[in-house]
Amino acid sequence: MKQYDIIVIGAGHAGCESALAAARLGCSVLILATNLDTVGFLACNPSIGGTAKGQIVKEIDALGGQMARTADQSLLQMRMLNAGKGPAVYSPRAQVDKHAYHTNMKNTLESEPNLTLRQGEAVELNRNEDGTYTVTTAVGLAYQGRAVVLACGVYLNSRCIVGKHSQNSGPNGFANACKLTDSIRKLGYTVRRFKTGTPARVKVQTVDFAKMSEQQGETSRRPFSVLTDHIDGAKRSCYLTYTTPQTKEIILANKQLAPLFNGDINGVGPRYCPSIEDKVVRFSDKERHQIFLEPEGEFTNEYYVQGASSSMPADIQEQIYHSIDGLENVQIMRDAYAIEYDCIDATALDATLMSKQHKGLFFAGQINGTSGYEEAAGQGLVAGINAERYIHNKTPFVLTRHDSYIGVLIDDITTKETNEPYRMMTGRAEHRLVLRQDNADLRLTEKGRQIGLVGDKQYNLYLSKVQELENGRAQLKEIITPRRMQKLFEYCGESMPKAGLTVDEVLRRNNVTAQLAKQYLGVFEQLSIEVLEQIEIEVKYRGYIERQQKVIEQSKKLEDKLLPKDIDYTKIDGLRLEARQKLNAIRPLNLGQAGRISGVSPADVQILIVYLAQHKGKV
Amino acid sequence: MDDKTIVALATPIGRSAVAVIRMSGADSIDIAKKLFRPFPTTPNMLQVGKLTTPNFVEQAMCVYFVAPKSYTGENSVEFHCHGGMEIVRAIIDECIDKGARMALNGEFSKRAFINGKQNLSNAEGIIEMIDAETQTAVKAGENLLNNRLGQMTVSLQDTLTDLISSTEAALDYPEEDLELPTIDKIQTSVKAIDGQLVELLNTVSVGKIVKYGINIAIVGRPNVGKSSLLNAFLGTDRAIVSDIAGTTRDTLNESVQYRDTKFNFVDTAGLRNADNAIEAEGIRRAQKAIDDSDIVLWVTDGTSNDLSYKVDKPCIKVYNKSDIVEYKGLKLAKNAVKVSAKQNVGIEELKQKIYDMFAAKGPTIQNGIVLTNARHIDCLTNAHKVLQQILAECTTSSMDILAASLREAWQILGEITGTTADEAIIDRIYSKFCLGK
Repeated sequence: MKQYDIIVIGAGHAGCESALAAARLGCSVLILATNLDTVGFLACNPSIGGTAKGQIVKEIDALGGQMARTADQSLLQMRMLNAGKGPAVYSPRAQVDKHAYHTNMKNTLESEPNLTLRQGEAVELNRNEDGTYTVTTAVGLAYQGRAVVLACGVYLNSRCIVGKHSQNSGPNGFANACKLTDSIRKLGYTVRRFKTGTPARVKVQTVDFAKMSEQQGETSRRPFSVLTDHIDGAKRSCYLTYTTPQTKEIILANKQLAPLFNGDINGVGPRYCPSIEDKVVRFSDKERHQIFLEPEGEFTNEYYVQGASSSMPADIQEQIYHSIDGLENVQIMRDAYAIEYDCIDATALDATLMSKQHKGLFFAGQINGTSGYEEAAGQGLVAGINAERYIHNKTPFVLTRHDSYIGVLIDDITTKETNEPYRMMTGRAEHRLVLRQDNADLRLTEKGRQIGLVGDKQYNLYLSKVQELENGRAQLKEIITPRRMQKLFEYCGESMPKAGLTVDEVLRRNNVTAQLAKQYLGVFEQLSIEVLEQIEIEVKYRGYIERQQKVIEQSKKLEDKLLPKDIDYTKIDGLRLEARQKLNAIRPLNLGQAGRISGVSPADVQILIVYLAQHKGKV
Repeated sequence: MDDKTIVALATPIGRSAVAVIRMSGADSIDIAKKLFRPFPTTPNMLQVGKLTTPNFVEQAMCVYFVAPKSYTGENSVEFHCHGGMEIVRAIIDECIDKGARMALNGEFSKRAFINGKQNLSNAEGIIEMIDAETQTAVKAGENLLNNRLGQMTVSLQDTLTDLISSTEAALDYPEEDLELPTIDKIQTSVKAIDGQLVELLNTVSVGKIVKYGINIAIVGRPNVGKSSLLNAFLGTDRAIVSDIAGTTRDTLNESVQYRDTKFNFVDTAGLRNADNAIEAEGIRRAQKAIDDSDIVLWVTDGTSNDLSYKVDKPCIKVYNKSDIVEYKGLKLAKNAVKVSAKQNVGIEELKQKIYDMFAAKGPTIQNGIVLTNARHIDCLTNAHKVLQQILAECTTSSMDILAASLREAWQILGEITGTTADEAIIDRIYSKFCLGK
């Protein structure tokens, strides 16, 4: 039997990050995929990033992960969403070539010395008496690993549905992993059934772009990864069109054929990713719905029809698509479909994504009830890092709600029970003003370096940015005479002060940007655009950021109060019954996490504080 | 439990020579420095100085303790000032205004325990206390839907949820054809919410009465028997009584418990145009007592009805000396009583009248949410502050900042209703807007 340090089951976005992180940290890693053509496959839209997700991609990069680099290599378009609405919600979003993304990611795995990429369906997972795990594939090969990362994603016992037709397969007809659920159940995990969907892919030559508005990429945008020198942000465009009244009529007339409504689909679908039939039925007063056409790749004629996912019968799908402006004569190349799959309740995991019950067994990605490539990759990275730390007896690596979106994500799914696929939103991050895409590197590079995933080149880039930033901050104290600022203030329409102002005070004026200050005042001369932006945000948002930092310090105090792992919550006087049960089931790491469990009240937290004080030094 | 700086009266409520106000928490020393000058140069040393509030400057003493060497184990400050609820209340209000919050029952002891300042044998008691608090909180929670405070808070939250979900949906789904709420819309909504908050805060002042009692100013022309009336209320000879008009030259403060409410009486000097300087000062103080009161007892002995000053407070007219004055043909109005302070006739009836006047004001009194009241006031005041800030900044702030402030206001109100924002807002986003690919 072949032995590895770590076995990763699944080579999607979670699996790839896990395997690469562990291998780069020196572990021997086996990564299994049911089909090697699914490595890093973008099964749904050909896009990476977006609100909250763009932030995650940048965090992955800062920690030394892969997704940002591969996305940059496979880029078709880059845009900044929410521009003008405030830096806390600026979100980079890329269109990527899904074929290139797959090829680049596969190539990266293949080039990693400690990593073995192997096609094979994992059919059985067993925990051995010595704490290691044995994974058996469908062809009868068995592998032993000291730790296992389960990252089977949407392939776990999945079923694709198009009208009355349904087939047991992963996305896009790829083979699924239908036997592994039994092992997961046998180990004692609650298995749930979730659902998602994807739209049809259409042939570009049959699309009438004249009826749509073009959405170009932005050439000025920077790459996701600090290691990427240059990107072409406007290689390909997307196109916006709308459904018509006929679309609605067709859907309502055929409602009884929709598996979503006639009971053929049982899985719980996400509210944020509804099919077109779901949108029309639930929001019947809405006149029309947006549809985006996104290129699937540079060397293909297929376009992704965002906004029109469906599980209607194929012929109805055609009617629906033909009712959309500009798609009157469109030729569907692949059908839209809904997909159901198995996943677990991630409250069984701790903050490192390791099972609380089985040491060395990690879960990452869609199997944890999340959705989205970025959410999966972020988890994969954390699981991979911690799998390495587990087998080498190092302290766990935990991201928190204060330092990253990935931390928010993991805390949410391991603390609160989610009843639908979990999508990251900026609104879920209570410290959104601090967790920005522009400072992901400043927040996390040091951590990535300590872990060992951030190489010299990336670390030196970080250090010089920090240096530059210090240099810029020092200049904020410089005093500018009224004469020197006159032109700038005239240009910006700001009223002139009587006496001189510091650069800091000048920057606090509403219409003054750091870029303009540089131009007119001759300050910040050596600073890059990135650092200028950073300084500007720091100055203009200082009051709010300080307020948020204060809140963070407050909540950190609760996070610092660790709860002993072996507390029997049922025996703590004063806790309400529901709190006892929830706490015993979820077993939070610290008081902060305990307080976020639904059903645990502030009074319960107080009881726990007293309990901790009572047992100081005893546990 | 948060670890915000807390403040409370440490000596028993009521009149005493000296009152001690205690503040504990990381910011307590900074807050105290804003109120007290000169601030003691070293810890554990009582320093004489001046305590400044917006209304008065009080001669007082101050001592501070540095963590962990204090009763609670946190930074702490004590003010020793003259007894009297007005003074105490004003100082506590000022501490709250500068960033402290009202301490809950037993919170100082709880902190002392958690910081290892009290021994383990106290743990049981503290758990019981939290438990009792929980019971009260649960009860208050049950009451919430039935009382005005709860209903209004819930409806304010609902309006805020709408506004926030529109904002958040647009921020998290910038590619959908959603319009961000306009500044106008935000202003209008926030103003409406804030207006109701202010209204609520006014209602809550009734709650304050439950905690601190009703302030009752006893006024009238000289020698109508104001001090006798006070003595009758108290059943003692606290006030100096004589037949010489103008005997009471200063105001006297006394409290008496009536049913579940405390009556804080202020006996004032007779109001007339004094030529004596000391008496003039007494009259000035009397006018202030009226301004600070919740209710005014206007005492007369039938000789003259004339009161040459302004009473814009609820007022009960007291026809005193019924034992010697025949009030011929007098028809008692609704807010009027006939008493004899000397013979103790009609005093109970008067007390009941005072009580009814306030008990009738709102259910807050009867629902007995006294314990959480300080917290409620605190929350509402803070929410009001945040909304004011939004109004001040909404034309210049970017949307991420406004969203953060709106959410902060929601969270603060959530502390009253015991709800958290996240799920409520996300639910609203998806039920209201059609989103997604």
